[in-house]
Amino acid sequence: MSETNLTQNQNREEYPPGDLVIWIFIYAELLVFGVLFLAYAFSRSNNLELFNESQKLVNQEAGALNTLILITSSYFVVRAVAAIREGRAEQCGHWLLATMITGSGFIVVKLYEFSEKFGAGISLSTNTFFTYYLSMTAFHFMHVVLGLIILAAVWFKNRRGGYSQEDHMGVETGASYWHMVDLVWIILFPLVYVIR
Amino acid sequence: MSDKFTKSMARNIFIGGSLFFFLLFVGLTFDTMGSLPKRDHRENITPQVANGKMLWEENNCIGCHTLLGEGAYFAPELGNVYTRFGQNKEVIKAFIASRPVEGIPGRRSMPQFNLDDQQLDDLAEFLKWTSEIDTNNWPPNVQG
Amino acid sequence: MKYESQGVAKLYFIAALALFTAQIIFGLIMAFQYVVGDFLFPEIPFNVARMVHTNTLIVWLLFGFMGAAYYLVPEESERELHSPMLAKLLFWVFLVAAGLTVAGYLLVPYSTLAELTMNDLLPTMGREFLEQPTITKLGIVVVALGFLFNIGMTILSGRKTVINIVLLTGLLGLAVFFLFSFYNPANLVLDKYWWWWTVHLWVEGVWELILGSILAFVLIKTTGVDREVIEKWLYIIIAMALITGIIGTGHHYYWIGTPEYWQLLGSVFSALEPIPFFMMTVFAFNMVNQRRKDHPNKAAVLWALGCAVMAFLGAGVWGFLHTLAPVNYYTHGTQITAAHGHMAFYGAYAMIVLAMISYSMPFMTHGKPANSNKAQVVEMWGFWLMTISIVFITLFLTGAGILQVWLQRMGDNPQSFMSAQDSVAVFYWLRFAAGWFFLGGLVVYLYSFFVGGEPQEESA
Repeated sequence: MSETNLTQNQNREEYPPGDLVIWIFIYAELLVFGVLFLAYAFSRSNNLELFNESQKLVNQEAGALNTLILITSSYFVVRAVAAIREGRAEQCGHWLLATMITGSGFIVVKLYEFSEKFGAGISLSTNTFFTYYLSMTAFHFMHVVLGLIILAAVWFKNRRGGYSQEDHMGVETGASYWHMVDLVWIILFPLVYVIR
Repeated sequence: MSDKFTKSMARNIFIGGSLFFFLLFVGLTFDTMGSLPKRDHRENITPQVANGKMLWEENNCIGCHTLLGEGAYFAPELGNVYTRFGQNKEVIKAFIASRPVEGIPGRRSMPQFNLDDQQLDDLAEFLKWTSEIDTNNWPPNVQG
Repeated sequence: MKYESQGVAKLYFIAALALFTAQIIFGLIMAFQYVVGDFLFPEIPFNVARMVHTNTLIVWLLFGFMGAAYYLVPEESERELHSPMLAKLLFWVFLVAAGLTVAGYLLVPYSTLAELTMNDLLPTMGREFLEQPTITKLGIVVVALGFLFNIGMTILSGRKTVINIVLLTGLLGLAVFFLFSFYNPANLVLDKYWWWWTVHLWVEGVWELILGSILAFVLIKTTGVDREVIEKWLYIIIAMALITGIIGTGHHYYWIGTPEYWQLLGSVFSALEPIPFFMMTVFAFNMVNQRRKDHPNKAAVLWALGCAVMAFLGAGVWGFLHTLAPVNYYTHGTQITAAHGHMAFYGAYAMIVLAMISYSMPFMTHGKPANSNKAQVVEMWGFWLMTISIVFITLFLTGAGILQVWLQRMGDNPQSFMSAQDSVAVFYWLRFAAGWFFLGGLVVYLYSFFVGGEPQEESA
């Protein structure tokens, strides 16, 4: 009894969680976003007025809503990992589903936001701010989509009984990716939508 | 490297990642194609300009010159030569027509291509059209 | 050599080395024309010499890739080549086509060549690196298809390994992206946009897959490290190469009429392009350090390690130097580009082909894993002479480029192109001298094939 607890604890504290490869990928992605954020800061300091003016056209409410949605979904995916660590595959599936539903909510809000912008005739070439705004949010958007695809794959495998208390690396891998998507948004939102 | 690093995951990231970025690239290409007409003034591509481009290619001008910075670096940039030569087609034509057949002793010289007046005019038209492309203010100055 | 049909690679490698030699000779001619402008004028003007220099490079690398594939694929697939006859036939077709094309460049004016080959039916000529007559391009497609069929059949009916699958993917990509070379609209901006789909997606895309798989093969064979480990590395490296390299195409879309946002996207992604090359260096050294055996072919290991390092320096570091849009605004189309091009092509692609030749030639000539110690020493002299020469060529061209940018692109009274060229001439003289050392290195390298001596056996 105490022995199984011990191995479980070891499993739990193993770092990093999930497949090591996904972490190489995650760091690469964070690097891309990091460079984008730096470039944004640099361009902003050179075109302060333009950025401040253009930022007024950005839908802050939608951004804030999406922040809440993503944080919530990240919480759900944490619950999914916790469930499978205790061997409760069915609960894990429910939490994964909840993650995907909230994640889809993000997509809906974001699509609304994009259509609003395109409707107003704003494009990548409008000005420097919108080049950044659109390329960063669209790039992040594609990551959300990819994250959802990964989660769906994990959910399917889980439904077919592919994961257990002992072997659930796939769930952790998917969750790690989803957290990365969330983390990027948490930096992107204040940077592009809020900070003036 | 431990078992935590699986080959199938590495493969999935390769396939997924490349596909993801290729699709992104295709998307950006669509956007670019949509915004090019405003920048390249394609309405000004007359048959003369098109023929000028063909002459440019069939005499391998890119083998010495750069055009918008691409090509060989042996002879001057020609994307802005129309501007550099005082927006005067005749100066361009006269320059090409007057190249000595045997070259200039010890120096680089453009070959004599024996183009007739119509061909010279087409080539100059092509270079004029090229100088009007919106290149985000490149080159930095008139020297190219 | 485990399979007899691997031997067809030898033909390809010999042709590759012959064309390599031609490339270097024409490189020297051009280097001299840079300082004595009327050298060989008007018989071989600069543009013709350059065409021969760049086209023989492309063709000898293609010969090298094909030879590498013919050697590697049977061994990986654990079966004979689908059709050794087809491989030999395609070799002669390709060689004759390449020979005729180069003869055409040298013997008649380019516009006459265009007329003779009926370029006006489907105009594709006269664009940098794609100067080949349309008919030659069609020939390349035919050869590529036959080659892919041969290789594909072998792999599909044999053992599938990560190495041969990645190689096949890279070669397929090579053929697919070459098709963009047939698209040549009258609109220069469109022409340039799609031209890069061939050129960039080759050298900073699918060719890296070919490079990675050949490197992985040579490392497996020479270090004895577990295949599983090497294959994981291979996947991660090529994943990073494509993830950064595809959008990295944007660094060619700064100033050719394409929208401004490419400056941001191109800068961000191409700033990360050194990562896969850095990983490749770490990978190669790691594998050699963890080796389970000491392979007697020291020269092949040297080429493999050298390739990883020089690819990182040439493609990674020298690429990064001028890839950011604010820098590239001043350096675009100067000798800086030439500096980067020389070291990147030599480091990444010439050296990987030479590594493969070095590894496989002993098997094909005398069936033993390594040449005599003496022959290897000569080969390694060739390695160091050529590699150090290319480093100096790159440094001198970088010097020329920096000075050129300073004189011609900056300040209130910029000089004209030609007077800036005169001012940087000292760098061109130095580059010309370094070029002779390179040729010397090449001669030493070629001589190593004739040294002879007792071949070495696999050490226990």
